[in-house]
Amino acid sequence: MLRWGRWGRALRPRGGAGAARRGGPSPRCASDLFGEVGRALQRGLPGGHWGGPGRPPPEQADVVVVGGGVLGWAVAYWLKALEGPRRGGMRVLVVERDPTYSRASSVLSIGGIRQQFSLPENIRMSRFSASFLRSINEHLGVPDEPPIDLQFNPSGYLFLASERGAATLEHNVRVQREEGVQVALLSPAQLQEKFPWVNVDGVALASYGLEGEGWFDPWALLGAFRRKATSLGVYSCVGEVKSFVMSSENEVTAQGQSEPVSRIKYVNVHAPDSREYQPVACAIVVNAAGAWAGQLARLAGAELPVEPRKRFVFVWHCPEGPGLECPLLVDTSGAYFRRDGIAGNYLGSISPAEEDEPDTGDLEVDHSFFEEQVWPKLAHRVPAFASLKVRSAWAGYYDYNTFDRNGLLGQQPGVGNLLVAAGFSGHGLQQAPAAGRALAELLLAGRFRSLDLRRLACARLPARQPAPESSIV
Amino acid sequence: MLKIIIPTIMLLPTALLSPKNLIWTNTTTHSLLIAAISLQWLHPTYFPHKNLSQWAGVDQISAPLLVLSCWLLPLMLMASQNHLQQEPMVRKRIFITTLITIQPFIILAFSATEVILFYISFEATLIPTLILITRWGNQPERLSAGIYLLFYTLISSLPLLVTLLHLHTQTGTLHLPTLELMHPSLTLSWTGTLSGLALLMTFMVKAPLYGLHLWLPKAHVEAPIAGSMLLAALLLKLGGYGIMRVTMLMGPLTSYLCFPFMTLALWGALMTSSICLRQTDLKSLIAYSSVSHMGLVIAASMIQTDWSFSGAMILMISHGLTSSMLFCLANTNYERTHSRILLLTRGLQPLLPLMSTWWLLANLTNMALPPTTNLMAELTIMTALFNWSMPTIILTGLATLLTASYTLFMLLMTQRGTSPSYITSIPNSNTREHLLMTLHILPMLLLMLKPELISGTI
Repeated sequence: MLRWGRWGRALRPRGGAGAARRGGPSPRCASDLFGEVGRALQRGLPGGHWGGPGRPPPEQADVVVVGGGVLGWAVAYWLKALEGPRRGGMRVLVVERDPTYSRASSVLSIGGIRQQFSLPENIRMSRFSASFLRSINEHLGVPDEPPIDLQFNPSGYLFLASERGAATLEHNVRVQREEGVQVALLSPAQLQEKFPWVNVDGVALASYGLEGEGWFDPWALLGAFRRKATSLGVYSCVGEVKSFVMSSENEVTAQGQSEPVSRIKYVNVHAPDSREYQPVACAIVVNAAGAWAGQLARLAGAELPVEPRKRFVFVWHCPEGPGLECPLLVDTSGAYFRRDGIAGNYLGSISPAEEDEPDTGDLEVDHSFFEEQVWPKLAHRVPAFASLKVRSAWAGYYDYNTFDRNGLLGQQPGVGNLLVAAGFSGHGLQQAPAAGRALAELLLAGRFRSLDLRRLACARLPARQPAPESSIV
Repeated sequence: MLKIIIPTIMLLPTALLSPKNLIWTNTTTHSLLIAAISLQWLHPTYFPHKNLSQWAGVDQISAPLLVLSCWLLPLMLMASQNHLQQEPMVRKRIFITTLITIQPFIILAFSATEVILFYISFEATLIPTLILITRWGNQPERLSAGIYLLFYTLISSLPLLVTLLHLHTQTGTLHLPTLELMHPSLTLSWTGTLSGLALLMTFMVKAPLYGLHLWLPKAHVEAPIAGSMLLAALLLKLGGYGIMRVTMLMGPLTSYLCFPFMTLALWGALMTSSICLRQTDLKSLIAYSSVSHMGLVIAASMIQTDWSFSGAMILMISHGLTSSMLFCLANTNYERTHSRILLLTRGLQPLLPLMSTWWLLANLTNMALPPTTNLMAELTIMTALFNWSMPTIILTGLATLLTASYTLFMLLMTQRGTSPSYITSIPNSNTREHLLMTLHILPMLLLMLKPELISGTI
């Protein structure tokens, strides 16, 4: 058994919410003193409760969720929530390698949620998530804690289509309306009347989401999932999964071919900045590693077409800009922007073309990208943006599914007990509540119950049946 | 007697010195041979004790339990083969040695005619069990489980030691055949009452009685399979057996002291059966069902009639085999899916149909299906309790109903329903597992035909 002195010294929360829960005020009277002593003893002695980062992972868990982003914590939360109110129950462990979330897609996202997709499954997932976020305090409210404030701006998405894309847009709107989404189709004249700051030159059709669309604070959602899941008894630890211990055997498929099928037996969780590792015996592993899901699948000897793609976000200040009446506008060229706060700041970007994908080695921002790619297009669409001042910028990863740019949910082909919830290619945050619930139902009930997401199952990869999505931002 | 004890002790060098490729074969075969020889104890005799010596003797209460303990050792060895595969040779030998070490002490405990010898061997079985649980258990909770087991047993058995020594000073002997012929020395004074309680408490904790049962779910769940089988089949029966022996020393006290224990035992049978319906962990469910069955055993042992002793004996043997078989089945599940949670290891009948036959048989015997010996035991106990006091039929009846319901729940959860979608390939049941289940169910089926062998009174 390896000792993990390093784990105890990793990332202790200094100030902020963590310390408020753990440290407490300095002892003022005798009972406080006993409380302090008791807490200090509890921290020092081994065993006891496993809580938060800074503890080594347990030696055994029923479900190990690799990846502590919004999708990982959503899966963990729904697993415990759907299991029902019991003491004990299954042991779910969430393994996150970076508790500061410095490179995680969840918190670097701009936090948009829309129902304007072309694939019905995507629309249903976003609608479920929208209603989940609306009633978030019923789902994720923890007693004695302040209510969750997502800072949801219900300003809607505005998709602009040129002559070429008008037919697709109209078709998409029809599909969305069939699913029950409130979306309005606007002609250029109506568009000009509603949003006078838009230059309707080149716009043939626009679709404006009227309900359940907007943007929110991803940190708040992640923290809410994490707090609620922890209160339901989910364990979490800081560590990186670098290898698996697997067993493999050949099985004969229905076509008569012999295929190797493997099972993960142990997850080797490595301590941060150390050579120590803990093999966690597990029954199920959930791959919620986001942009690095493909890398994790390769560790298990399987292929998953998910890779990180770098995307920039630029924040600028424009006092003559659109003002408060500003949805998240997606231009015909693919550039998008939204209002950020009420002080005249806006943020936006564009997804680069396939050939010009930036290098994903680090999260450095290429400022010339704004001047060359983003500004001209946005200035053409919104004349007020001709003069603006860039305040800041950041970069984040899309967990890009190179197969069909939609999420992968279900069992990894080739590995028996590895379930995948990744590859959402930029709409993972908004679909996280639905995807988490779907995966939890798959695990607990054996099939999708509330949302039928069989089209998004990983089985479509070997079967070569893409589930295409045409409106990717 | 010696023809069993000496081969059992010689199993130790067998385990330590066997060559690498023969260690399991040697130990299992030789322990099976010992089990076969031990069957001769079941042969009824007109004498009160068979093979009586100054220290050990086999009578109708000890004989079935002794045969069970000798029978269980090869089964424990067979069940442990898989999870010890990865361990280095030395650790395998130590594991087998630990299992074998318990054997002579259990045999001595069940056959002791001197009560202090019984006490010493009773306590001696604790240490290897503790080693088994804390060293080879799977979860970090096994440390807590070991501490619970150790301290519950030790704290309750210290008063027993004091009382036994006091009795020895008073009566001059603690030899059971002699004590049977003497007047009971405990009176209705405070001393007598406390001595009586002290005598009983250890076995109440061991059996376990409902209020003192907290160690059992932890120990059973955290133990490796051999540990669970040992605990469920043998160590719990030490408690029941001890109550039967010790109540003989207590004389007029039992008519007053029995009430709190009867209440707790019968109410506990109800409560633990209800808890079983809410369990998420399969091994925990089987552990609580053990508490439920042993509650009936305690209730029967306390009223001390012929029929109730007979019923308690049959229930101890049948429950030993059934519970051990259920733990083995749960272990086969655990080895494949690495999870004990019911929600994650369910709907296995289409995947492992042969094993589901054994699941069905084990669950049928657990819910006391006629004509199994479990039913004979439950009916005998219920009748004896009804004769002693009429309202107990409500409690025992409800307990039987709840037993049937949680057993059905366990069967339907593990075998029927939607199979987990992510289990695409599962290793098939192998011969070792089938043999294990056969060797569990075969005695139960044979005993159906001649239950007088275990019914304790001939």
